[in-house]
Amino acid sequence: MIIAEQLSARLGGFRLEQVSFEVPEGSYGVVIGPAGSGKTTLLETVAGIITPTGGTLRIGGHDVRTLPPERRRIGLVYQHGYLFPHLSVEENIAYGAGAAGADSGADSGADAVAEVVARFELAPLLRRDVVSLSGGERQLVAIARALAMRPRILLLDEPFSALDPARRARTRREVRIIHREWQLTVLQVTHDFTEAGMLGDVAILLDKGRVLQSGRPEEVFRRPASPYIAEFLGAENVLSGTARLLEDVAPDWIDGAPPLEADGHHALEFSSGSLTLYTVGAVPSGGQVYAVIRAEEVVISRTPQASSARNLFRGHIREITRLGAYARVTLDVDGVPLVAALTARSVHELGLAEGVEAFATFKAMAVHLC
Amino acid sequence: MTGKRLPAVSAILSAIAASLLLLFLVAPIGELVVQGGAAGVRQLGRDAELRAALVLTGATATIATLLGVVTGTPVAYLLARRRFRGRAVLSAILDLPLVIPHPVAGIALLLVLGRESMVGQGLLLAGLRVVGTPIGIVCAMLFVSAPLFVSGAREAFARVDPRYEAVARTLGDDGWRVFRRITLPLAGRGLLASAVVMWARAVSEFGAIVILTYNPKTVSVLSFDRFTSYGLSEAIPVAAVLVLIALVPLALLRALRGERDLHAGGMQ
Repeated sequence: MIIAEQLSARLGGFRLEQVSFEVPEGSYGVVIGPAGSGKTTLLETVAGIITPTGGTLRIGGHDVRTLPPERRRIGLVYQHGYLFPHLSVEENIAYGAGAAGADSGADSGADAVAEVVARFELAPLLRRDVVSLSGGERQLVAIARALAMRPRILLLDEPFSALDPARRARTRREVRIIHREWQLTVLQVTHDFTEAGMLGDVAILLDKGRVLQSGRPEEVFRRPASPYIAEFLGAENVLSGTARLLEDVAPDWIDGAPPLEADGHHALEFSSGSLTLYTVGAVPSGGQVYAVIRAEEVVISRTPQASSARNLFRGHIREITRLGAYARVTLDVDGVPLVAALTARSVHELGLAEGVEAFATFKAMAVHLC
Repeated sequence: MTGKRLPAVSAILSAIAASLLLLFLVAPIGELVVQGGAAGVRQLGRDAELRAALVLTGATATIATLLGVVTGTPVAYLLARRRFRGRAVLSAILDLPLVIPHPVAGIALLLVLGRESMVGQGLLLAGLRVVGTPIGIVCAMLFVSAPLFVSGAREAFARVDPRYEAVARTLGDDGWRVFRRITLPLAGRGLLASAVVMWARAVSEFGAIVILTYNPKTVSVLSFDRFTSYGLSEAIPVAAVLVLIALVPLALLRALRGERDLHAGGMQ
């Protein structure tokens, strides 16, 4: 378990400021953030390479701020691997296996090395000089080297970025299996939101040395805390407007039904220009309100569809951007653009084209106000 | 047309300038080796004083280099890796011997290590005489050449990305083991090259040695002595031998540099 509370650190002119997050024991945490947001500095601080200037850092229930890296049993894999160039691949992998700080369980160092070599199919590389390896091979060896010492925590800094797509999928799967089998706590930096969603139990969103939001990945992606986070996470529809509570005039109100307010959730109406959306939640504090709707939540049809979805709009297709099997369709609804993510097959079957009339539908629950 | 001609003209001018400089540097050394090289090698067989000077020069330069490596390596590592108050002052102090004239360095050493000084008297009481002995030669060589080693070693350490060390720490090594298993091997070629430079500089030292220890004579002092006592013809073979000795570390340095470039090319 990693618990950081108000953790601060400094590296040259860069500061990590009052970072708080929690990755439970045996969980997979992902750190997301733009370049220069402090992701690597955060990993180095957890690993003990950088000494915190403030706050607390607890690993496995113990305060480790003054514990040197060699006694933390934390495996660290940098994006570029940092394989020791004067050692062979085999010597690199075996470097920490059987070290004083490594797990002194049933496995000997040699067994641990053999296991990771087999898992990552590294046997053909063992005799190779590390300078002759490709970027992807280096990343694999670096992951194997960190795992061969049987760490209790694994820190990964963009570890799959240099792998080809097939190898990336296999390696990702293997790391995930090891994480489960060994009950290994993992904290991984990634730029890939899909990867973050696929792997992570906890997502930590970092920007300019601060945590903007942390929580379950689907929560962070669906319910971003600010329009900045929403846009950073790739939400195509971020509308600014005003929100008000729906009371007895609400279209959601049914005679005899319980009040529209329950457990802090209200039926709400959000207006942006000529667009009025229905949603459920709490009215965010502050004057300006933003509505976030992920493109995957928007359904496009050629005729109005009768459904439980509360939001239905008519418009004209403004733009279709094809990205292989996937397409982004922008519907112009009285001057307000609404983006929907569709398969290329759906675009074809619906006969969608620029200028064509179409309908956008999404549920009230798909609208997140922040 | 003019645009094409200009680079051609500047290339020709650059080539002429470079050739002139090369000629200026190579001609005296070449002439010395041509005139005295063979005679110097022959003289080694019958000139006991030259042989003794050669052995003394090699031995004292090697001892000075070993002392420089042992004492200079921690300083170089400190300067390359740590940020501390007074770092710039320490760097400047270490560079000082490089910028003062070497006879002045000899005089300064004489002041500290001579019989009249407290240190000199203390050393005499301990049975160590510096002035007029090989110890004086080692001191003079160490003073003028150690800064070259520290400067080169510092660069060699700075070239090692600290993240290699960070990874090794996470893999269970403490600071000393990381230094031994990672930093030293990765900086090794640079350190060796710096030691070779220091040794070569120590071998060629004259100004500081001649103040501290005229006798026994190193090769540089012997060539000066032969020149002032017997004239140019007697000095040439001795001087040529010194040039031939200097070629050994130069060749070694080139070989090391070539390997290091190859090595650096493979690092991230």
